[in-house]
Amino acid sequence: MSILQNVKDLVRSRSIHVSYVDVGSCNGCDIEVLACLAPRYDIEQYGIYVHNNPREADVLLVVGAFTPGWEEKLKGLWNKIPEPKAAIAIGNCPISGCVFDRRGSYVDPPVAKHIPIAAEVPGCPPRPTEILQAILSIRDSVFAEWEVKRK
Amino acid sequence: MKRTVDVNIPLGPVHPCFKEPVRLKCETRGERVIGVEVELGYMKKGIERIMKGRPWQEVMFLAERVCGICSVIHNMVFIEAIERISGIDVPKRAAFLRVIANELDRMQSHLLANFSYCYTIEHETLAMYLLDVRELVMDELERLTGARVTCAYIIPGGVRCDIRAEDQATLRISLDRIESDLHRYAKMFETGPMIALRSKGIGILTQESARRSHAVGPTARGSGINVDMRTLHPTYQQLGFVPVVRKDCDNHARIMVRFDELFASIRIIRQCLDTLQKGIIRGGGICKAGEIRYSGEAPRGELTYTIKTDEFGRITDIQIQTPSIMNIEACCHEMIVGVDSIADVTSTFVSADPCIACTER
Amino acid sequence: MSGWLYEQDLMVQKYHILIATRHDRILRTIASDVGIGVQELRKTLIERLDMILLENLPARYEAAIAADQKGDDLVALALGRYIFSTGIPLVRESRMDEILRTTKERLDRGTPRPEAIAAGKALIREAILQ
Ligand code: SF4
Repeated sequence: MSILQNVKDLVRSRSIHVSYVDVGSCNGCDIEVLACLAPRYDIEQYGIYVHNNPREADVLLVVGAFTPGWEEKLKGLWNKIPEPKAAIAIGNCPISGCVFDRRGSYVDPPVAKHIPIAAEVPGCPPRPTEILQAILSIRDSVFAEWEVKRK
Repeated sequence: MKRTVDVNIPLGPVHPCFKEPVRLKCETRGERVIGVEVELGYMKKGIERIMKGRPWQEVMFLAERVCGICSVIHNMVFIEAIERISGIDVPKRAAFLRVIANELDRMQSHLLANFSYCYTIEHETLAMYLLDVRELVMDELERLTGARVTCAYIIPGGVRCDIRAEDQATLRISLDRIESDLHRYAKMFETGPMIALRSKGIGILTQESARRSHAVGPTARGSGINVDMRTLHPTYQQLGFVPVVRKDCDNHARIMVRFDELFASIRIIRQCLDTLQKGIIRGGGICKAGEIRYSGEAPRGELTYTIKTDEFGRITDIQIQTPSIMNIEACCHEMIVGVDSIADVTSTFVSADPCIACTER
Repeated sequence: MSGWLYEQDLMVQKYHILIATRHDRILRTIASDVGIGVQELRKTLIERLDMILLENLPARYEAAIAADQKGDDLVALALGRYIFSTGIPLVRESRMDEILRTTKERLDRGTPRPEAIAAGKALIREAILQ
């Protein structure tokens, strides 16, 4: 492996930009993602920056069961994120639809049908520490040696 | 209606300032915003449709998931509506425990709302302070109910678990700490000159227009309307609750109402702990058929459940009117119209504490 | 109005809002009140109002009724003045005042009350549908 690749890996592992998108949740998972920002969990000490701009994001956190309003939009959003990228499903909602996946509801889970999901964090809602751990654990498998793997 | 506009500026659905997807289409003339159209539909899950025909044991958990930020009050209003229909009594101790859980939930919700506002006007220091205090409140909520969010603490005829003597002691210590911290932060907000520039006199919601769009909660109380459903609740009446009202009608007033309510909540919890009697925490009863319209005060305002049940305790008809519906409407059609620049649109929108998840259900 | 960058057809979403229990009840009350078909009223509402207003329909309706009852104008109460002009903004306020004036003139000229009110309602219907 070249030195350049090593440098790239090192830099990437300490600079992950996160964007989150809510595709029809109950807000429970939403605020747990937000709680990661709190000084107690301090997401920035791992070099993770949360801001809601898909165009400069590396990791997309998907929250919520899939509602019809996102039918055309989520794909477009996913395409706007530059490579290398990964999506993490937070909570039961994007995984199975949680309590909403019943007859008569409008949702259409799982989200994996619509965009590729790299990791899933079950829970209703998961704790902030679990969300943090998920982001950190996909860091190496997705971003390290990305150029090598792509070839 | 056709109007001359210079530029149409759509904000959202994914926007750095909005926590939830909503699309605001602002019509501007120069820098001034002359009209806003709201586009929802990104969160429509159809909870009411799922609820119909299910027993209350299931609907109870669904009701909690209408909104994750204020889950305790949804739980409480739904369960109390069921209790009113079936004539179930609540033990004294349980009634006070409910109030404690509810006020802790209100505190974390208000802290989150004020955090979002400070974050939106780019005062990150204060925002992070508030988020840190919120974690203390979440700890207490978890110690009391067993979960951070969606705790299903309140059940018909009482509450799920008791509070131990040592937990009461820690709760009191935490409250002291939260109060002393909050005093500092509230003062920072109230007297900060930069904050005043961004929030005083911006996003005016006059009393009359608040009435017209039926604004509720801190949004209405910031405009001098004295509405608070807690004054009608028997347990709060025992505690001698008085609502907080401010008359400035702008963003600053709304945030300060929330700060004041935080202190009021701390007082209420202390009062509850003082008056807590020994006794059972769960009575009994049978859920019966009936129809009721019951309201409670959520952190964002008046929350109304219209419920119809049959004799097996199944929900045959339900409609939830959440406070955010009225507040977002008041915000978008009255407050934002006339603000001086697009930069104020986001902060004004956030000052009404919008929650899209419960708006669309 | 200039065009938007990307636009979604919101018809279905708006319809989903209107078929909720309380919305439906209020819609039917209004429809039978002014004598418009339910589907036709739905279509008008969907075309004229934005989504948050549709969600807020029951609350606004109640606030408007309260405002109507507070005033002592019986004709305005019977016609539902605030309901159609400020509560559910389907009729422009100036037009509503005009209708109110015509109805009152009719009453002064000695037309029986039910007849005059019915004529006023017909005017409102026209204003809504135009
Ligand atoms: S997983 Fe649970 S807490 Fe999270 S959004 Fe879904 S229902 Fe809400």
